[in-house]
Amino acid sequence: MTAQPSIRVRGLRKTFEVPEREAGIRAATGSLFRRKTRSVVAVGGIDFDVEPGEIVGFLGPNGAGKTTTLKMLSGLLYPTAGEATVLGHVPWRRDHAYLGRMTLIMGQRNQLAWDIPVIDSFELNRAIYGVSREDYRARIDELVELLELGDLVRKPVRNLSLGERMKVEIAVSLLHRPDVLFLDEPTIGLDVTMQRRIRQFIADYNERTGSTTLLTSHYMADVEALCRRVLVIHHGALLYDGDLTGLVARFAPRKTIVLDLERGADPPTPDALTAIAGGPDRIVGSADGRVTLRVPRSDTAAVTTRALADLPVLDLVVEEPPIDEVIDLVFASGVVGVEPTSDGGRP
Amino acid sequence: MSRLLAVYRAKFRTELAIQLAYRGALAIWLIGIVLEPIVSLVVWTTVANGQGGAVGGFTAGEFAAYFTSLLIVNQLTFTWHFWFFEWRIREGFFSPLLLRPVHPIHNDVAENLTFKLLTGTIVVPVAIFLVVAFGATFQTQPWQIAAFVVALGLAMPLRFLAEWTLGAAAFWITRTGAINQAYSVVMLFLSGFLAPLALFPPAIQAVAAVLPFRWMVAFPVEVALGRLAPDQVLAGFAAQLAWIAGLVLVMRVVWAAGTRRYSAVGA
Amino acid sequence: MRSVRLAWLSFRLGVLTALQYRANLAIQLLQSLMSVGVALAGVALVYSQTSRLAGWRQEELVGLIGVYMIVAGLLGLVIRPSMERLMEGVRLGTLDFTLTKPADAQLLVSVKQVEVWKAVDVAVGVVVLVFAVLRLGDRVGPDRALAFGFVLAAGVAIIYSFLLILATMAFWLVRLENILVIFGSMYEAGKWPIGIYPPWLRVALTLVVPVAFAITVPIEALTGRLEIATIAVTIGLAAAFLVAARWFWRFGLRHYTGASA
Repeated sequence: MTAQPSIRVRGLRKTFEVPEREAGIRAATGSLFRRKTRSVVAVGGIDFDVEPGEIVGFLGPNGAGKTTTLKMLSGLLYPTAGEATVLGHVPWRRDHAYLGRMTLIMGQRNQLAWDIPVIDSFELNRAIYGVSREDYRARIDELVELLELGDLVRKPVRNLSLGERMKVEIAVSLLHRPDVLFLDEPTIGLDVTMQRRIRQFIADYNERTGSTTLLTSHYMADVEALCRRVLVIHHGALLYDGDLTGLVARFAPRKTIVLDLERGADPPTPDALTAIAGGPDRIVGSADGRVTLRVPRSDTAAVTTRALADLPVLDLVVEEPPIDEVIDLVFASGVVGVEPTSDGGRP
Repeated sequence: MSRLLAVYRAKFRTELAIQLAYRGALAIWLIGIVLEPIVSLVVWTTVANGQGGAVGGFTAGEFAAYFTSLLIVNQLTFTWHFWFFEWRIREGFFSPLLLRPVHPIHNDVAENLTFKLLTGTIVVPVAIFLVVAFGATFQTQPWQIAAFVVALGLAMPLRFLAEWTLGAAAFWITRTGAINQAYSVVMLFLSGFLAPLALFPPAIQAVAAVLPFRWMVAFPVEVALGRLAPDQVLAGFAAQLAWIAGLVLVMRVVWAAGTRRYSAVGA
Repeated sequence: MRSVRLAWLSFRLGVLTALQYRANLAIQLLQSLMSVGVALAGVALVYSQTSRLAGWRQEELVGLIGVYMIVAGLLGLVIRPSMERLMEGVRLGTLDFTLTKPADAQLLVSVKQVEVWKAVDVAVGVVVLVFAVLRLGDRVGPDRALAFGFVLAAGVAIIYSFLLILATMAFWLVRLENILVIFGSMYEAGKWPIGIYPPWLRVALTLVVPVAFAITVPIEALTGRLEIATIAVTIGLAAAFLVAARWFWRFGLRHYTGASA
């Protein structure tokens, strides 16, 4: 049987009616039932497929439309236009068969009861999703081990720290072994160690169970660590769909060369540097024996050779631009002038 | 179906634990539910005594019987969810419920029943105390006790459905406070909560007969008092069943439309 | 005095904030009318069956409803919302912001939140009261009016103290978020003259929850049913309650800030 994509999205679009507030009593009383609204396009018609078992990252700044997309795919929101199927179901019909096979985990949002031990909430979910006793036992053991929950399950959520709450939320959401995971900002607000642990867990879980995972984040580190494939979304449009290295190559066509010169050597003249770099705009800085150049990828080798030949170089480093900068560049360039593509790049 | 029962069983267990943890708050809500019928009881027994024993076909003892029965019936039929729909929608608390493969109404039904179970343990002794303290008199025959149980058993889902559907109005209207209050006002008069319906002018009684409120509270109370003849009781059951059937339909339509409109706001 | 000025500024800010939501005026008017309508309908129903309730005539009872609405409005205007804010502040820790201000904390928390449109309740109550007094036909001389003013103020002071005590309990009983609901339920009972309640219930209404002092006593002052002794008791009780509430507040505050209590 040929593998069907787990998730198919075609022309998905979501427009929100945002109320406009006017002054005056008449407007205010009128506003009780009919509000003046204006349309805001949250998601402007996107297409993509996700194969079973993939971990895909949705990258975008706040308000880009990533959470909206996730909510449509999990069935919480009706789209304004377009289609999507997840595991063969139309999500917003919210068939119980579909709901039993997926899960949505939102950072800093609890579905667990506040005052009773976590394990009791687990029992409730077991009944809701119809998990058999043996499966339940096995899965709890697995999750406790993978998430390092230890004795946390006996405590009420009220007594747990933020990171512990996140871990327990994740555990309860996976009790029914969903085939599709939607993670909305899963590491938001957590400290660095906890973020790393949760990322590790997501990767391990995906390997063990082969579940399809879609996660949103505005932390580059999440996406770097977990996702081979990245969808960049901004102002409701897909700017890029492909792997991360491809993203860097497309939007950051330049590399940075940092040269440390021998102590005591004469500082190079601007003309000399221009000759080496291939243009005055390629010089970022030259001071205290350190020269920084930014050159197109294709010229990197040539510039490096010239620098080594003409300058008393003590040390040389060729850097990719920081990915955050790349992303900022992507967002800054926006939709106009950028061709969204679906690069292959899948392993 | 057995899955649903398992869900209810699990939900009852967690809900019991949660509500017991909040028993102080529960006691406070209880005082609120219980006080109004007591006040009405005092007022009307005073009126009856002041008028030489009886008023509008009720003696002081019968008023006491009416309001103590009302106390029990109200406690067992009352719901609170429609007051909180707007808040739940605004804070996105419906989202986790909508993602479960179970209709959200079951969550609220379970919470509601747990509350009634817990507070019933207090309300029943209080009712007995009032019966004694105010000399309530009942003219109930054995078959009417059974009829009362049936009437009560039908009144509970009837009121729950009506009020839960009312709550769903919050999907469209952002400020439901006034609507909820208007509903409470109508309920107060037409359900026999304020005073037995027999005391109202005939025009009001006619209106009450065609609306569902009477069947939520007044009807079971009247059965308990032994004031209704068999054919009236049967007609009452029929009315209750008809309203329940109608409301189930309305609830399904309203709910489906409401969730269409629901945008999970917030992060 | 700086405290008073800060309190006034806080109050003013609350009013301005509330005024932003002008739709609330229409809603509040609707709600006030519904509330008073229900109360008056209840009275009408009773008086369709009798002409006297525990010796009270219908007009006196209508006046009672008027006072009921006035007091409800005064409480709902600033006292109740502020007490709810206080309890929330204890729970969320935002009370700390108030405590670090250079002014008396009790004053600040008491005027923190203003529901401007509740003034409609007061207005509706005044209309009903005036109507009832006119219908009664008795002349309300300056002596009665004065007595009315005093006991009304005393009654409100008593209820304020009582609510403050309830809210202060939040320092210890964090889970009792709805503790003010107790008051709301008891307040409903104040729609009727306390004379109709059996003694055991009357005690609860008068001493444990001093609703009667705020509602029944003022209307009695206007209708001439009041004795000087009761006026004295009411004012004395108001003073005692204010003192007790202040003491309990400071006790609670010491506990909250970790000082030995």
